[in-house]
Amino acid sequence: MKDRSDHINLTTKELNELERADESFALRFKKRVIAALPIVAAVLHLLEYNYYPNYRLNTCTEVYNRFIGILLIAYAAAYILSFFSAKVYGYIYHKAAFYTVLMLLLTAYDFATLKTGKLALPYFPWVDSILNAMIDDREKLFDCVVHSLVLLFNGYFKGVVAGLICGIGAGWSRKISYWVYPVAKVLGAIPSTTYMPIVVMVAASLFQGAAFIIALGVWFPVTLTSMTGVQAVRKHYYEAAETLGTNKAGILFRVAIPAAMPNIFAGLTQGMSVACLTLVVAEMMGVESGLGWYVNWQKSWAAFAKMYGALIIICITFIITNGVLNIIKKRVLRWQKD
Amino acid sequence: MDMSDNGRIEIEKVTKIFRREDEDIETLTALEDVSLNIRSGEFVSIVGASGCGKSTLLRIIAGLETPTIGEVRKDGETIKGTDEKRGLVFQDHSLYPWLSVWDNVTFGLKSLGRYKEKKEYAGQLLEMVGLSGFSKSYPSQLSGGMSQRIALIRALVTEPDVLLLDEPLGALDAFTRMNIQDVLIDLWKETKSTMLLITHDVDEAIYLSQRVVVMTPRPGRIVDEFDIEMSYPRERSHSQFVEYRNKILKKLNYAHEQSIGYYI
Repeated sequence: MKDRSDHINLTTKELNELERADESFALRFKKRVIAALPIVAAVLHLLEYNYYPNYRLNTCTEVYNRFIGILLIAYAAAYILSFFSAKVYGYIYHKAAFYTVLMLLLTAYDFATLKTGKLALPYFPWVDSILNAMIDDREKLFDCVVHSLVLLFNGYFKGVVAGLICGIGAGWSRKISYWVYPVAKVLGAIPSTTYMPIVVMVAASLFQGAAFIIALGVWFPVTLTSMTGVQAVRKHYYEAAETLGTNKAGILFRVAIPAAMPNIFAGLTQGMSVACLTLVVAEMMGVESGLGWYVNWQKSWAAFAKMYGALIIICITFIITNGVLNIIKKRVLRWQKD
Repeated sequence: MDMSDNGRIEIEKVTKIFRREDEDIETLTALEDVSLNIRSGEFVSIVGASGCGKSTLLRIIAGLETPTIGEVRKDGETIKGTDEKRGLVFQDHSLYPWLSVWDNVTFGLKSLGRYKEKKEYAGQLLEMVGLSGFSKSYPSQLSGGMSQRIALIRALVTEPDVLLLDEPLGALDAFTRMNIQDVLIDLWKETKSTMLLITHDVDEAIYLSQRVVVMTPRPGRIVDEFDIEMSYPRERSHSQFVEYRNKILKKLNYAHEQSIGYYI
């Protein structure tokens, strides 16, 4: 510790060192070993995969080696980096137990399927065959992802726009809420997928019908949250704006809507999960494209590896979609206290 | 137009009666026959116990409420609705949490389409209250005292003739409060706006204002007025200050006893 002035003046790094000064070498070593456990588990898994003989006629490829290899290299790189960055070290030390267990589970699953056949085909394909199924059918899967996303956002945006107009209108004006609120209450009580059979019959195209059902499912939570959001705006916010010479439109767009943003985003997130759910149901029930349809279709061919592959893709797609929504939300609501 | 002439308030026989939510027949008289004239550029404080209708009176002048009987005029014109020439500051600063300090301060300018013309003035005011380094901060990052200083200049940036202050320092600790009282005097001298302050702190009223108006509750009425003939800056321990304090407190206590007697 250098003496910079009469005051005690430490950098964060120095403070960390000072606080850890009494940590024994043994304890530090133990923490390092724990942080390295995922690497050990991954190497063990690779040994098991490559050197333990397969059950009967089960076959496997290099693809899985590459998959686990990439994970191993990424973690090992982070581990090396952690010697130089306390932040990275903190992160991997925190996550080490989780990644280790994940590797052990993958090992156990691989052992139960590929190596011993305790979990039998066709219902339980090993991960290598799922990965290969995904690679083999990548064009079709990509096509399905595109179709699903187009339908998802088509319905989602229509629902959001309608929901925002109804909700903000109803929160803002009693006359609008007089008409909108009862309708929202009645329609909102029915899950929008209930209308699927009718829409399949009536709609001009199944795509438009499915988009409508998704929009309806999104419309309800967005309407309700934006309405409560606008209604809950503190009276003083309006009065301050009025005494600052703001007109009605200014108060609506510069006070009511921004003040209701936290609620509106709650509705947008809720709406997104409804949209994802409705999308898959709609694709399974009628729309002849998209990931939901693919899952159903492969199941009917007993192509379970492909089906699991599609499930993984659905999972990744929805995680990314929600992640993007969260980034937008954090950006718009950056003024909020953590 | 001579600026110094603007900001005259005439309150003429104002009575305000509210409906009661818990009661079908009886009503609540918040203000009864209140008359008061405020000169242009004057600093007037209204003191009184809570429930004496002082906030209602302020809201009527702001144009947020209308009197049941009587009228209020600004510069000879009957007040109808709100106007940026009558600024208002609340006890809870009511800054917009989604806007930066700078966007809060210039909110009114943008409403009036005068942002370009007056943004330098906004910057000057921000400097005057010592917060120009915080223009990019959000209100959640400011202390209560800082927020209230921002709320003051947000209301002043549109150059109101009258600034209405609804217990703006009521929620602050004693040191911050004294500090902002001096800021308030500086702003008053700088802008030459008429100031009307509602407070329940008698010392604050004497320290700041040229005239202290005493109100009593149930129904809200003006019972007395005191011209504070002391030069600024005032000394809180000065004998004259103490004398004013005693007189006003006596008036408030006396009024208090009387209203209790009236109800018993």
